[in-house]
Amino acid sequence: MSDAASIRALGIDAGSTTMKMVGVDAEGALVWHALEEMDPRIEAQAERLLDVVRADGCPDSLPLIATGYGRRLITRADRKVTEITCHARGVHRELGHGGTLIDIGGQDSKVIVVSEEGKVVNFSMNDKCAAGTGRFLEVVSGRLRMPMDAFADTALAADGEVGISSTCTVFAESEMISLLAHGAPVERIVRGLHRSLVQRVSALARGAGLRPPVMLSGGVARSRAIRTLLAETLRQEIVLPRHPQLMGAYGAALLALGA
Amino acid sequence: MAPPNPPLVPRRDEVIRRHRSSGGRLAAVLPIHYSRAVFRAHRMLPVEVWGPPGIDTSPGDAHLQSYTCGIVRSSLAFVLSGGLDVADIIVVPHGCDSLQGLGSVLLDFAKPRQPVATLYVPRGPRSASVVFLAEELRALSRRLSEISGIEPTLDELRQAIAREESADRALADLLDARPHLPFADADFYRVARAREYLPAEDFEPLARAMLAERVAAKRPGIPVVLSGLVPEPMNFLGAVADAGGVIVGDDLACLGRRRYAPGRSDDPWKHLAESLLDAPPDSTRGSSTADRLAWIEKLATDSGAKAVVFYLVKFCEPELFYLPQLRQGLEERGLKSVVIETDIAESLSHQAVTRLEALLESVS
Ligand code: SF4
Repeated sequence: MSDAASIRALGIDAGSTTMKMVGVDAEGALVWHALEEMDPRIEAQAERLLDVVRADGCPDSLPLIATGYGRRLITRADRKVTEITCHARGVHRELGHGGTLIDIGGQDSKVIVVSEEGKVVNFSMNDKCAAGTGRFLEVVSGRLRMPMDAFADTALAADGEVGISSTCTVFAESEMISLLAHGAPVERIVRGLHRSLVQRVSALARGAGLRPPVMLSGGVARSRAIRTLLAETLRQEIVLPRHPQLMGAYGAALLALGA
Repeated sequence: MAPPNPPLVPRRDEVIRRHRSSGGRLAAVLPIHYSRAVFRAHRMLPVEVWGPPGIDTSPGDAHLQSYTCGIVRSSLAFVLSGGLDVADIIVVPHGCDSLQGLGSVLLDFAKPRQPVATLYVPRGPRSASVVFLAEELRALSRRLSEISGIEPTLDELRQAIAREESADRALADLLDARPHLPFADADFYRVARAREYLPAEDFEPLARAMLAERVAAKRPGIPVVLSGLVPEPMNFLGAVADAGGVIVGDDLACLGRRRYAPGRSDDPWKHLAESLLDAPPDSTRGSSTADRLAWIEKLATDSGAKAVVFYLVKFCEPELFYLPQLRQGLEERGLKSVVIETDIAESLSHQAVTRLEALLESVS
């Protein structure tokens, strides 16, 4: 039996930059997933992913919950649930404990305080400004023509840090250019840019009432530099789930299963 | 059984036109606290200006700092674009620094065609507050006399007070009965907020008609208390319903915090001042955090609410000032809360809806 054949519920996370689909078996184990760049035709993309999972052997007519920015557009879903609830559920099941989940997504970041039972205790969101999100790293690394991995490695290899004072992605970009023009070493600037994002996210976490351990999810969790600087700034070890980008979709699938 | 039809609420522009065509005078009054009876004793109808929402605010931008709230921004734009030309006077109570600033802009720079009067409502409880506010109301009345040509006798003022107090009682009954009134939140607020422009004698029957539909059962849904300034943009109320919520308690500055009880003194001016100063705790009157916390907690307990939604006007400094302590205090009392900031000139954002939904999911 293929993994897809054992799927008993599905979750879709239609995020701002990627769409994720997860299938769980009767015990709630994550047995299948897909991840794609976001297509502006959200509903059509969700249908396509459903075709893919069915082609893999997934049974028809399974319960489906949609979450994420585009959840309302997925009419096939039995229910729509916010990414806050879904992330909390997914990460709690995956790691087996509560704490503070920091999710740094493509266009927003959120902090969710999760109880030992997996319930949302409190949350705060940076949903108004790109400066504390993956978009910030994308813009500044793109400006320096560095792929994401190299960008993180450069930050970690730096022997110092240049402070970035701008609180806005656009201004941080111009500040970076001005610092380069004044001869500041690029690796120190890169570390400063990472620090700037981490500080913003840390402030959000403290505001929500940080409760250890700190867990990290979202696409940005893949950055080693962000993990290292976040641990340093919050003075907490950072716990990472196996699939940081899938926690929303996983939580949605678990809710669809009733687990 | 299908829910009853809500009473038909006359539109603001109709009310204004009717009042005007019967020869009545009109005062445009900005938020928040003032005594309607003073205006009515001058046979003048006070019509409140909470923005209005959804208008182009650029005409007033040159006079204001960029972090001024949308209510002040929209109000100034509305004045400058002739929206208040129908009024005989504009009254600006000093509810906050931004409104005080608006009063100065109108008096010194923008200079609308009609006179502008201010009203200082003292902040914080002080022994001299009643006497001071009573004198402020007298001064306002003298100002109104210049326009109305009327100098109301004390008896006329008392009659106006009695009419307003009767309407205030009806409004308080509406607020108390909220969990048992089988109307959508948008319909409830349409009726309750008609107090902002309807004469007391027209508002009261409307409120009583709604109260007559009271049922024993509570409305189904996740019960929440709504706090903040004003439920604008109004589609927020639809978003609450879509997320499975029902508003059972109101701590809005435009409504629940203007639940005025009658004053104690025989002197009508002091009576009016006491009524305003004894209203529920409010950020714009400088109430203590402890008082505000106790009041919101009482609203939640009385109505069975599970959470509190702070629905704020962006850049509303008086409200923002209280938030951290209020939210922490509520959490210690087992009440979850969420903050949703909006601009009354803009539509409700997807992010605002997500915050609301996440709160309701976490208490359901
Ligand atoms: S919204 Fe806040 S800042 Fe604006 S007028 Fe009202 S009380 Fe003042």
